[in-house]
Amino acid sequence: MVLELARPRPIWQVMFSTHHTDVGLMYLIFSLLAMFVGGAMAIALRVELFAPGAQLIQDSMTFNRLFTAHGTTMIFLFLLPSASAVGNYLVPIMVRYKDMAYPKLNAIAFWMIPPAAALVWLGMADFGWYANPPYSVISAPAPAAEMWIFGLKMLGVSSILSSINFVVTIMKCKHPDMSLGKVPLLGWSFLSSSIIVLAAMPTFAAALLMLLTDRLGASGFFNPAVGGDPIAYSHLFWFTFHPEVYVLVIPAIGMMYEIIPRFSRRPIFSHSSGVAAFIILSIVAFASWAHHMFATGMSFTEKTVFMVGTLAAVPASAMHVFNFLATMWNGRIKFATPMMWAVGGIALFFAAGAGGVVNTAMPLDFITHDSYWVVGHFHLFVFGTIAFGTIGFVYYLFPYITGRMYNEKWGVVHFILAFVGACITFFTQHILGLFGMPRRIYDYPEIPEWVSMNALISVGAMIILVGMVIFLANLIYSSAKGKPANLEDPFGLGGKYYYPFSQRNPHHGDGGY
Amino acid sequence: MAHSNWAEWIYLGVVTALLVYVGAEAWNVERIIDHAPEDAEIIKVTAQQWLWTFEHEDGTKEVGELHLKKDHAYKFELTSKDVIHNFNIPEYVVLLDAVPGRVNTVWFSPNEVGEFDIQCREYCGLIHYNMRALLIVEDV
Amino acid sequence: MSKIFQLSIIIVTLCIIPTISLVFAAETAGEYIDRKAEIWNLFFRMMTIAFVVGGVIAGTMVWQVWRFRESNPKSKPTPYEEKGEL
Repeated sequence: MVLELARPRPIWQVMFSTHHTDVGLMYLIFSLLAMFVGGAMAIALRVELFAPGAQLIQDSMTFNRLFTAHGTTMIFLFLLPSASAVGNYLVPIMVRYKDMAYPKLNAIAFWMIPPAAALVWLGMADFGWYANPPYSVISAPAPAAEMWIFGLKMLGVSSILSSINFVVTIMKCKHPDMSLGKVPLLGWSFLSSSIIVLAAMPTFAAALLMLLTDRLGASGFFNPAVGGDPIAYSHLFWFTFHPEVYVLVIPAIGMMYEIIPRFSRRPIFSHSSGVAAFIILSIVAFASWAHHMFATGMSFTEKTVFMVGTLAAVPASAMHVFNFLATMWNGRIKFATPMMWAVGGIALFFAAGAGGVVNTAMPLDFITHDSYWVVGHFHLFVFGTIAFGTIGFVYYLFPYITGRMYNEKWGVVHFILAFVGACITFFTQHILGLFGMPRRIYDYPEIPEWVSMNALISVGAMIILVGMVIFLANLIYSSAKGKPANLEDPFGLGGKYYYPFSQRNPHHGDGGY
Repeated sequence: MAHSNWAEWIYLGVVTALLVYVGAEAWNVERIIDHAPEDAEIIKVTAQQWLWTFEHEDGTKEVGELHLKKDHAYKFELTSKDVIHNFNIPEYVVLLDAVPGRVNTVWFSPNEVGEFDIQCREYCGLIHYNMRALLIVEDV
Repeated sequence: MSKIFQLSIIIVTLCIIPTISLVFAAETAGEYIDRKAEIWNLFFRMMTIAFVVGGVIAGTMVWQVWRFRESNPKSKPTPYEEKGEL
């Protein structure tokens, strides 16, 4: 049914479709496009930082615009839509419903993203993805800042709409025979991440409006010159975006829960502990936002409260890791490309989590805050864990979407390059942070350690780049010329899959898939 | 599927115990470094795009350079004139935001003679990358 | 139920929070300490824990990947495969 290429249709039929697999396909293509755009920006940044002095980018303003667009693109235009893509493909099938609960709303949620992307990419604001006032109020050039604010506003509404859709689909449209406890863990991951979005996102929506009126001079919420408090913005922002970290990571964990048992040829070790860990994570996600703000002059008491809140999230994450490893135990594991990405993702997930514990230990924040340590730490999460899970899942869905197999050898090469590149890049960034290099700087003095480590990081980024070029070539070539896949069991594992093609797409007509 | 979960409980116990230890240690160190000695000299630090101004207790002002005495306690009172900056001496692990409209304090006592970097660690615009100053610790 | 909840919130605000802040605000003037040494020592203690735990987890994963791969001569079909329960 989802064999989009085996049964070519006019493109407008896909574009104006509200069927969940068509919307999922658009989400997927758009998010991969955004990944390559954002990746190109990252490469430009790394080329610039390869050595002290101007390399590729001639002025700091361009650099500042690029890192802002890179962060915004990767988080809002790659990771969130790619999770929605997977959810759109699989959640209705997992709860045995014919479509998402509100198909039109689903399509609207997707179609809000491209205009928002246009606003972000054409505007190129310069204040970092965090848009911290008063810089963003009094100093950031217009109209880039306004375009960013409107773009983010649309993206926020879009993610709220798609979250409503997921929650209603899972809670209300699941098959009557299926209890909530029986919903597969991928479904559970979308349920919990959607609930986090619904609880967290309105705060940021309010903060954005306040930021906009501040910029227009109509108000002074965050502008100290007229009596506002910039720290209030930090609270509002991080109240949304610390939980947002879990919004991104929980679906990726859900994808690993789909891949790992399948390729280990064993059922998941404990479904209930996975569910419990998702529920705990979605609650404690709200207990830790201000650990991003230790350096703003918080009191000892406040810091302690948020340190405890942050540490509380660790056991639940550890439960997931345990569940993965216990599932692989005594299995007969086939290391096809998706499984490699999932296992590599678990390894880097641990490293990222350990770095997070160090960040939140109050005095150590004096070492790591806003240094390259933080950059390395959260890239281990967003690239090492979330993007690894997502890319693995793209390989996993590839035969269902195109009816053809990707090239396994090049898939493995892609994984090895990305894993090695990620280790070189992001672990070195941790050490560079310990040597005191601040993040978001366009140029740096010739301190010998900084120079050599920056060069190494840029080399690591190039290794990832080579992997990603291979990925792109593999996707394009294999979707047109790859071996036809055996859709009963494309990976040769035996057993039942959640075949997206078990669902009929009305556009394929009678006798279609 | 039949399985026992004792291994998971033991594992969770170990993880939790480690976290409690980490939290307690961090709390203790933070408590130790939190309070400045009584005789700490107050230095008013004003950040603005994109330079640092330092005012000693006796009223002398320095721009872009800070002269301090070895083995003497100093308490920085940080504030900013425009946007948020972050006062950072990486060598001495001193780090705190300079927020307009607020005064944040952090203290330290330099125990080595020499020249050290002061830098801005919070993104503050065009020349953020070069918002640097020099800390000169002198023997008395 | 909601009454109990409201009451507990009031109790928390009135009693527990002031107690916590009293304990924390044991405002004695500090002594001369080597800030740098204190913080870096803590950092290295944490790193010791992190690398030990990381070593155990990474070791387990590497061993699992090596032992349970399907190309390992010792690997045998899982019970679920044999019963067709996958």
